[in-house]
Amino acid sequence: MRSVSRWALVAYCIYLILPIYWLVTMAFSSNADIVGDFEVIPSSPTLANFAEIFSNPVWYEAFANSLSFVVLNTLISLFVAIPAAFAFSRYRFLGDRQLFFWLLTNRMAPPAVFLLPFFQLYSAVGLFDTPIAVALAHCLFTVPLSVWILEGFMSGVSTELDEMARIDGHSFGFFFFRIFLPVNRGAIGVTLFFCFMFSWVELLLARTLTGSDTKPIVVVMTRTVSASGLDWGVLAAAGVLTVLPGILIVWFVRKHLVKGFALGRVT
Amino acid sequence: MTRIAIEDLAFRYPGAPSDTLSSLQLEICSGEAHALLGASGAGKTTLLNLLSGLLRPSSGRILFDGKDVSNLAPKLRNIAQVFQFPVLYDAMNVANNLAFPLRNFGFAPSDIESRVARIADELDLRSALDRKVSGLSLFEKQLVSVGKALIRPNVDVVLLDEPLTAVEPHRKWQLRQSLKRVQVDLGVTMIYVTHDQTEALTFADRVSVLTVDGILQTATPEAIYAEPSFEAVGSFVGSPGMDFVNVAGLSRVPSNLDASQKLGLRPEWVELCVPGDGMTAGVCDDIVVLGTAFGERVGIATVTTPAGTINVRTSGDVALGTQLGIRFKRAAVYRDTALVGSHEF
Amino acid sequence: MSFSRPYDNRAWLGVLPVLLLVAFSGVIPLMTVVNYSVQDILDFNSRYFVGLDWYRETLGDPRFLDAFIRQLGFSATILAIEIPLGLLVARGMPRPSTNRGLTTSLLLVLLAIPLLIPWNVVGTIWQIYARSDIGLLGVFVNALGISYNYASDPLHAWITLVAMDVWHWTSLVALLAFAGLTAINPAYYQAAELDGANAWQTFRYVELPKLKGVLIIAVLLRLMDSFMIYTEPFVLTGGGPGNATTFLSQYLTTMAVGQFDLGPAAAFSVIYFLFILLFCWLFYSSVVQKADA
Repeated sequence: MRSVSRWALVAYCIYLILPIYWLVTMAFSSNADIVGDFEVIPSSPTLANFAEIFSNPVWYEAFANSLSFVVLNTLISLFVAIPAAFAFSRYRFLGDRQLFFWLLTNRMAPPAVFLLPFFQLYSAVGLFDTPIAVALAHCLFTVPLSVWILEGFMSGVSTELDEMARIDGHSFGFFFFRIFLPVNRGAIGVTLFFCFMFSWVELLLARTLTGSDTKPIVVVMTRTVSASGLDWGVLAAAGVLTVLPGILIVWFVRKHLVKGFALGRVT
Repeated sequence: MTRIAIEDLAFRYPGAPSDTLSSLQLEICSGEAHALLGASGAGKTTLLNLLSGLLRPSSGRILFDGKDVSNLAPKLRNIAQVFQFPVLYDAMNVANNLAFPLRNFGFAPSDIESRVARIADELDLRSALDRKVSGLSLFEKQLVSVGKALIRPNVDVVLLDEPLTAVEPHRKWQLRQSLKRVQVDLGVTMIYVTHDQTEALTFADRVSVLTVDGILQTATPEAIYAEPSFEAVGSFVGSPGMDFVNVAGLSRVPSNLDASQKLGLRPEWVELCVPGDGMTAGVCDDIVVLGTAFGERVGIATVTTPAGTINVRTSGDVALGTQLGIRFKRAAVYRDTALVGSHEF
Repeated sequence: MSFSRPYDNRAWLGVLPVLLLVAFSGVIPLMTVVNYSVQDILDFNSRYFVGLDWYRETLGDPRFLDAFIRQLGFSATILAIEIPLGLLVARGMPRPSTNRGLTTSLLLVLLAIPLLIPWNVVGTIWQIYARSDIGLLGVFVNALGISYNYASDPLHAWITLVAMDVWHWTSLVALLAFAGLTAINPAYYQAAELDGANAWQTFRYVELPKLKGVLIIAVLLRLMDSFMIYTEPFVLTGGGPGNATTFLSQYLTTMAVGQFDLGPAAAFSVIYFLFILLFCWLFYSSVVQKADA
């Protein structure tokens, strides 16, 4: 049966690669070539699409905008999720199991549901069209999973560490920031990946809560229109570029990624 | 049951600078309870994995009843293994866990039923047969693991890798007793790997002491204790380990010993006396009270003498810092760290 | 848990930030929605309490019911494909050991790529990729003799959507399952081999029980997310041809954004959320209770 799985893996990898290959060929082709005659390998590749992105301020501003709310989201998520995960993993308290599951239920509300109230809420507090609005809105989805992942890791860190620090006379602050957090580097890396995995790619909320000031890259991509219609080439090039940061993160946390996915707390 | 022979066995991990095991020779009799005793890093787990087939030797042979199994896959070697922690099928109950190997090897259902009942009786698991494995304590789970390893009647050898490790401390002795009893009852060849000498010495018919230098000695527990072939064995076995004193440092030297030799001493082989009466004398540095036996207090006094430090078994009240004499009753004699004989005084 | 945890209600301090944040970004907006759902809002100043009218209207709306049924069909289909496929792919991955590290790492990156592409780009890629005139897939399928066109044929649109979602999200299941598999102590495989178990038995009695936790998470996440799906189908088919691929999120978005009918849109939202909650809870409690029994 192992060989069935092997074949499934190989077939699936091919299945994965083909559209990615297509994206890459589109990125290196002009619009005319893309919508023109079909060819498996582009006969006249061009760097024009990438040049457009790197030279047009709309693109790199959008890139910076996206980056700003993704970074904000990750920071906020980690900031609130780490103490919560620590509490869940180290202590029992009133309502802890219910709270833990309730957290996940927050992720069950479709973004579409929040379109209107978010728009009103963030306009009311004057946060509309700011990166923090998107960051906070995304938190509803990234925080529950962050808490679950971090808790899963932290439960595996033995309390001997806590006790040794106490015996050595360290304060809680010292223990937490200089000992505990570094030990959980992998967990934080994986959580970072998950936050990124949602916040960087989400469209609906990002589009609703941003205006002209903070247009993120996902929105710019939907509006890429040139004289001859949708600018496929530039869009594809932008698509390729937006995947790169994610790949970097995966590569750096790859060893911990596998452990982190084994979120343990369910049963 | 099966006779195991290890001939000139050597193993090196890929990329390692030196051999983990080299030139190993060992013979284990059919139906024998054999312990592989050694400290961590001595290579016991490597040897166990070579026996089970998880690893293949770099050179040398392993023979089961004369048949060369050195390069045979684990499932073809007809062995069973008990691991450091219970390894069971969580979704099944105890009875199904026990029956699983028998079903896979094509035993008839009636035979399976009677065999499961027999093993459950041996291990006192009758009442647990219907229970789900996940609800058992670690001790009970390990008991089921042992049962699963013994379930096939024709298994050649059962390998046990520090089986008491995960068991609750107050249950370890119970599991030890069950293991010994079932080994005797079923006559199974068992190879028990451990770093704990109590486990090894109480369980085994014969013990092999393994260090980084190889198997230093293979003998009965009594012989390992009283006549360790090497100083290394002597100091490893026993609590406290054997003390070694230089003959040259003794105040009184018997005629058939010479100054180049050392004497190996166990606490019960020496006794305290008036300074001047014994073979040597020194100051008492430490006393450890072990408990009472037959109404008398039992302790170990550590005495530093010119010949070396000696632990003496004593029942009297001994004050720290007093000058004490030590009389020898018997000793093991060593030259160049190897045993040359024993001496009665 | 690997150690005992003391009971201490002061731990609530650690949980407080999360609660406040979720309250702000989740509970308050949700309450707003519930508030709107029981009112008729003609403009900012004139609003009337109408009780459960909007709920009744929504549940009776044939277009809502259509979208709901399509949504159910979509979620069921992708779950039925992605969970087994992800599991199979995970079993096929080389487990990390000394010399396989690089292959495994590269495969992990490859699997992660679809998860990191902005969702509208996913839709855009497949838009072109599946085009019968200029797309790699489209041209290939038509070359096999099938007249494939996802823009005009509803069945083809469905199949393309499912294929796209499988491409997009199976990796999540595979990565989760792979993590679960690597966590299994090799001793279990050793013991199973010595017990004479064949490959299928090893899968059924060793791997599957130990993967229970990660599979539950995988199903929960895919169930939730497939139910909420918006961007990718919107970009690929726009909900068409006709209404063939209009699922719940798209219908809601059209209502809420396009028509500014707050009351019914809000009621729809609440019903939508409650259904997801219901399905997740049903699944979770049925599986977890079985484990406790």
